[in-house]
Amino acid sequence: MKVNIISIPVRDQEKALKFYTEKLGFLKKKDKPMGGENRWLTLVSKEAQEGPEILLEPAPLHFEPCKVFQDALMEAGIPYTQFDVESVDAEYERLTKLGVEFSVKPSTMGTAKYAVLNDTCGNYIAITEEL
Amino acid sequence: MTYFEKELAKLKSLMYSNQEQIEMVIGVRNYIDNNYDAALNLDFLSQVRFVSKYHMLRLFKRHYGVTPRQYLIDKRIAASKEQLKKGLSVTETCFAVGFESLGSFSSLFKAKTGKSPSEYQKEQLSRSGLPPES
Repeated sequence: MKVNIISIPVRDQEKALKFYTEKLGFLKKKDKPMGGENRWLTLVSKEAQEGPEILLEPAPLHFEPCKVFQDALMEAGIPYTQFDVESVDAEYERLTKLGVEFSVKPSTMGTAKYAVLNDTCGNYIAITEEL
Repeated sequence: MTYFEKELAKLKSLMYSNQEQIEMVIGVRNYIDNNYDAALNLDFLSQVRFVSKYHMLRLFKRHYGVTPRQYLIDKRIAASKEQLKKGLSVTETCFAVGFESLGSFSSLFKAKTGKSPSEYQKEQLSRSGLPPES
């Protein structure tokens, strides 16, 4: 067994695809129809194209409890998941220039530096760096 | 302030209030990052930061979740992958990243990646030799 998929619930797969590729910089890896408007849509990071894939799942559109959970996390300001970056400060600057909104500016906690951004598809996402 | 930020602030004051200790472990980690190819041991690493070795070991594990030795091994294995991809021989790679014996390098590499260094290298070199996908 191995870990390959990290799923992220999104309200709009096309919008999410744009945000995660054009702003965050991921690459599209798989895109296949899954009935109706739904797609099996996965992304990989540029630096690790053989690495784990993000699955942009349209779950909140079809399964109410998923939407409720996602809304509750958003309301509490809790990131759905987190991505590692080389430098939180540099990414914060780059993404702010691209119009990405942050709910938490670069901060430190122990040996970790982090910031939290809004993915515009229903989630907060943390970016982190180990110091 | 969101629930998330309040909870983080609580955690921070509960677990990360000693800035001096945090700087010490960050210093040790940076030292390993910059000198993983040299002969490093606990005595030496603790001397770099003027602390007792068991104190340093305990704090490192608490903050990074792994011991300095495990951290060092992971760092060396990651570096050895890069060297193998560049085409260095297994023996050259072993010494270039700081291991002192070929036997321990090969068995650690296999334990961490599931492949021997030469299998890994063969796979990587044949992959990079493929024509690019259209």
